[in-house]
Amino acid sequence: MTRAARWALGAWLALLVACGLVVARTPFTTDLSAFLPRSPSPVQELLVEQLRDGVASRLMLIGIEGAPPERLAEASKRLAAALRASGVFASVNNGEEAGFETDREVLWRYRYLLSPAVRPERFSAQGLHASLTELLGQLASSAGVLVQRMASADPSGELLSLAERLAPQARPRTQAGVWFSKDGARALLVAQTLAPASDIDAQQRALSLVRTAFAEAAAGGEAKLVVTGPAVFSVASREHVREDAWRLSLIGSVLIAGLLIALYRSPRVLGLGLLPVASGALAGIAAVSLAFGSVHGITIAFGVTLIGEAVDYAIYLFTQNAPGAAPESTFARIWPTLRLGMLTSICGFSAMLLSNFTGLAQLGLFSTAGLLVAAAVTRWILPSLVPRGFSVAAVAALVPGTLAAVRAAPRLRGALLVVLATAVVFLVARPQPLWSSSLASVNPVSAAEQALDRQLREDVGAPDVSYLVVIGAPDQEAALQASERAAAALREGVSRGWLQGFDHPAAYLPSLATQRARQQALPPAEVLRANLQAAQKGLPFRPAAFEPFVRDVAAAAELPLLERSSLQGTSLGLRLDALLVRRGSGWAAMLPLRGVGDADAIAARLADLPGVTLLDLKRQFDELYRGYLREAVLHSLLGAAAIALLLFLALRSPRRVLDVAAPLAAAALATCGVLALGGVQLSIFHLIGLVLVVAVGSNYSLFFDRQAPASQERGRTVVSVLFAALTTVIGFGLLATSKVPVLSAIGTTVGLGAAMALAFSAIMSRQDAHAA
Amino acid sequence: MVRIALVLMAFALPAHADALEDLMLRLAQVKSARGKFVERKELAMLNAPLESSGTLVYAKPGRLEKHMLEPRRESMILDGDTLTLEDKDRGQVRSFAVQENPVLWGFVESIRSTLSGDLATLKRFYEVRLEGAGADWHLRLRPTDRRMQKAAKEIRVSGSGTWVSTIEIDEAGGDHSVMTIRREAP
Repeated sequence: MTRAARWALGAWLALLVACGLVVARTPFTTDLSAFLPRSPSPVQELLVEQLRDGVASRLMLIGIEGAPPERLAEASKRLAAALRASGVFASVNNGEEAGFETDREVLWRYRYLLSPAVRPERFSAQGLHASLTELLGQLASSAGVLVQRMASADPSGELLSLAERLAPQARPRTQAGVWFSKDGARALLVAQTLAPASDIDAQQRALSLVRTAFAEAAAGGEAKLVVTGPAVFSVASREHVREDAWRLSLIGSVLIAGLLIALYRSPRVLGLGLLPVASGALAGIAAVSLAFGSVHGITIAFGVTLIGEAVDYAIYLFTQNAPGAAPESTFARIWPTLRLGMLTSICGFSAMLLSNFTGLAQLGLFSTAGLLVAAAVTRWILPSLVPRGFSVAAVAALVPGTLAAVRAAPRLRGALLVVLATAVVFLVARPQPLWSSSLASVNPVSAAEQALDRQLREDVGAPDVSYLVVIGAPDQEAALQASERAAAALREGVSRGWLQGFDHPAAYLPSLATQRARQQALPPAEVLRANLQAAQKGLPFRPAAFEPFVRDVAAAAELPLLERSSLQGTSLGLRLDALLVRRGSGWAAMLPLRGVGDADAIAARLADLPGVTLLDLKRQFDELYRGYLREAVLHSLLGAAAIALLLFLALRSPRRVLDVAAPLAAAALATCGVLALGGVQLSIFHLIGLVLVVAVGSNYSLFFDRQAPASQERGRTVVSVLFAALTTVIGFGLLATSKVPVLSAIGTTVGLGAAMALAFSAIMSRQDAHAA
Repeated sequence: MVRIALVLMAFALPAHADALEDLMLRLAQVKSARGKFVERKELAMLNAPLESSGTLVYAKPGRLEKHMLEPRRESMILDGDTLTLEDKDRGQVRSFAVQENPVLWGFVESIRSTLSGDLATLKRFYEVRLEGAGADWHLRLRPTDRRMQKAAKEIRVSGSGTWVSTIEIDEAGGDHSVMTIRREAP
């Protein structure tokens, strides 16, 4: 070992130790927010924030199915009781009245401060007479039993009208005392965790609590549990990522190691071949940790892809080493090509570095740092560690066949042209746009889970909100007052048919000003008694029948105003928490709209209210995504241009740049064609995949392009490229099977693209120049 | 003395249960019925009883219609699980699953389940006792559910043969109502 080699070895070991130290302190995250855009506008910030931590994001929708209704109901009641007792949930609702008793108490106590019907004229002799006449009719009616008990204290029926107004619009049907889906096949529970959705560990604990509590509640029965909700998605995605990262890395490593051991027939060389990858991965994690402060799970999972790319370097070195040649001299020969290939890859990866998706930027940095270190290890460390006189014997046997195949390949040029032409025609002629412009296309949640979520939401009557009125205000009182003004405008919209309905925070907690105005509308006891007496004329009520009413009105006039804290522990309070949130130094009120028919009219009506904005959520998110897609396409084009410039600087011949670039462009085009043929609408992740195809494939076409004097040497080169491509296709092909859409999109694209880049490089290679 | 009472009860119970099941079986044979009702409610807050009247229609197994004609036109239709309240004077219709309102459900089921001879459903809401027999029987229904107990102390359904002739309700607050049903001339 030379002195320089020893120095290199020492520096490498020091680097490994340093990286190891950094990695040991690195927090690993798996929450999805890394794959949400870093949003630029305050409104979008609010959206992302609500998505991550909002009360709506803490919802867990639970279904119990697969047994007779009585059994389901019983399991629902037991599960709800266990969850309520656990202290992990802010609320658990399954339709049992138990959950609403505290609501009723609050509504009863504060009915005269909550009801919008409370105005001075309602308590005049005339107003009371109208109320009492109405009451008499209700008492006679079949449903009279419902009003009878409350009538003497609440003759104007404020409680019933409040309960009706505040009841969620669509409620699940009740059967055997608990909520059921419309078809009666599934008992339903709605739970809200105390922990925010972004605390995935807490969410996971809550979820496993639901599962164990259910196992006990349904002991031995055939009932099955289904759970969905934003937090459940986060936990599931994390599980998928973990599972996939482990499973795919393991399978990938075993397959690639098996292939290489069959080739090298030396465990030591196989081990050496993994050094660049391992060092690269370690350096990648350390670099991401230093730059971002934490490393995302998907970034680690991407290590699999790095194996596909960086294992290539060792393969090139080992398989191209002719019998009897010194590894150093072999490396000196192939280094320029390899270096160019690596730089090309880095040009491609750097496009990801610029991404506005934190997760993607991490992947870019990980790959770039990993590749640099892997290449350096291959260049300066490996040659001195390879056993003297090592050569891959199997290569010699493979050379004739491979060369024959390569020589025959150009005959397929005609076929290639047909394939490319077909791809172009197909891409141009397809009816839907090639690129998906909807954020849903990068949803990390699988289609089956989304379908279950939709189903349960429909069952529970909690559809996804697509229009939201957002109000910003300096304090809670101002937010509530603004929300009351907006609600008045929206009520007008409802009566004009612009929308079907809406929810607003002031319905649960009227502003202090409104509550005071209602208190002032309540007459003093003696006035009320006199008015009642006048109102009862001609009606069969006993003279003192409404004394409880007089007493309650007097109490309401003196009642301390309803505060947010009084609603704590009620379902009203929970709904308020979702609609009125503290944001930075101010407050935000949110009014979700239902059944919006004329968004423009609503927006116009709200336009003159200060601080009030109407949001079309889907459009906002899609716009956000389209912006990033545009940005990503631009970055990729920049990456491609950088690659072209790099190739031109290195090869100094436009013709050779074309030779190297043409197979890559053809592979990218054909890959898009195949994906489109499979009905896939391309997302930002496919684009990233295409960039990787160009980065990885450039190695192949560069080696094909390289002038090789001896036929045997060219044969070795081609065999090395073949194996490099095989390992890449294995690594990315496995990724294609991932349940995580991001990984599967990149895997499919790169797996396909790498295979095609290899085939096309062979087909388009300039035979005559190298003919023996 | 106590022992004798227990022995007597032990003998009396099966016979009693048999008579109840017997009555229920006979009621279950009735396919449909139609009658005129007059309901009289005596409420503590009113100084005169509140009277209403109309028609009552039953069809096996689960449909019960109560059409009030006086003092206002209003219908309550119970069909399977769905309860529909229609205020004809105002043109308002409200329909909901009967399970959503356990108290109202208990009240309507005291009539419907008796008419259809559905002892199992009756027993879900009430402790059922039969007094009398044949042409003069009385079912005493005492609510078992806590919420229902808050609304009613006892419901007495009386009849003759397979005809239900009066339904009396003793409400928890001391209010009282009696509905008498006369066969409608065909």
